[in-house]
Amino acid sequence: MIWLLAADTEPVVRLTPQARILGAILALAFMVLILDLIRRDKLLERYSIVWFLLGIGMLLGAIFPVALEWLAKAMGVRDVTIALFSVTLLILLALSLNFSVIASRQSKQITRLAQQQAIDGIEEEAGAVEGRDR
Amino acid sequence: MKKLIFIPAWNEENSIEAVISDAREHVPGADIMVVDDGSTDRTAALARRAGALVASLPFNQGVGAAHQTAYIFALGQGYEICGQLDGDGQHPASEVARLIEEVEHGADLAVGSRFAGNVNPDIPEYRSTFARRLGQRLFSLLVSTSTRQRFTDTTSGMRALNEKAMRLFADRYSSEFAEVESLQQAVRAGLLVREVPVHMLAREHGRSFIGPLTSAYYIFKTLIVLLIGQLRPKQVES
Repeated sequence: MIWLLAADTEPVVRLTPQARILGAILALAFMVLILDLIRRDKLLERYSIVWFLLGIGMLLGAIFPVALEWLAKAMGVRDVTIALFSVTLLILLALSLNFSVIASRQSKQITRLAQQQAIDGIEEEAGAVEGRDR
Repeated sequence: MKKLIFIPAWNEENSIEAVISDAREHVPGADIMVVDDGSTDRTAALARRAGALVASLPFNQGVGAAHQTAYIFALGQGYEICGQLDGDGQHPASEVARLIEEVEHGADLAVGSRFAGNVNPDIPEYRSTFARRLGQRLFSLLVSTSTRQRFTDTTSGMRALNEKAMRLFADRYSSEFAEVESLQQAVRAGLLVREVPVHMLAREHGRSFIGPLTSAYYIFKTLIVLLIGQLRPKQVES
């Protein structure tokens, strides 16, 4: 059964050499941009790794089209570009969800900090009042 | 019993002094604290001048974070009962005093309800628009269904609670829809929650206009929040 399905989905639409060259250039430019952002302290290393991996993936896909064709075959789609688009979309979806989780955590941490600062403010004031009384 | 009355306030310079003196008069012996939720007016300064403890959040965080600030502070200072009333003057302190009594008589959390019945004919009935009432009804229905306990005023910020409830809320408290979700949270954690009929006054200052789209959004959000609340692991006493 699986063999039957696979036989029917040999990729027919492939990337043109032009598209591959463009892809490689974009991937390299992307990685240079990431490095520059880290260098200028605009991006923490922690968050850059995943973007860097994405850039390497783009580059590999452009250099070795076999990888993309294998991917399309594994997904059962006949068009390499569709495989590329859907995988990219999924990765971006996962990444943005991940950032929402990070944003939520940071927002909670900011709230805690603000609350603690507000409470410390009361205690300091109380201390100052006691000091004045003495 | 060591008592704290706290007043969450965001730009309430017109009413804050009156609220503080009202609280001082009706709940004698309680310390009074104002949680200034990033006000840009003179709320904090006036509250301080009126003799209240003032915790100023550095920026506006929403009513949930303001409540939680007071719970964290109260637990740290060893307060046994905490009463809360809004800074806009809608909540008569005499009514909060009754909620505190309810907690002294064994409730973990007492909530003042505008819609549970007429209690004092001297104070005019709380007025509200039709849309708001409808929304209130819907919230009540949702919360009552999810908790299997009847609630009539789920958005009431007039409350009193003991240490057990404070610990629960200091640990986790909704930042989005604090009043509604905290009822579900408390009932699920096995707390004794009592709703007490109270009177509230119409707002004297400030705005509280909520349009139909915003209302629809609130109702949708409440639905999601309560649904997720049902799925959360139960909080247990540590």
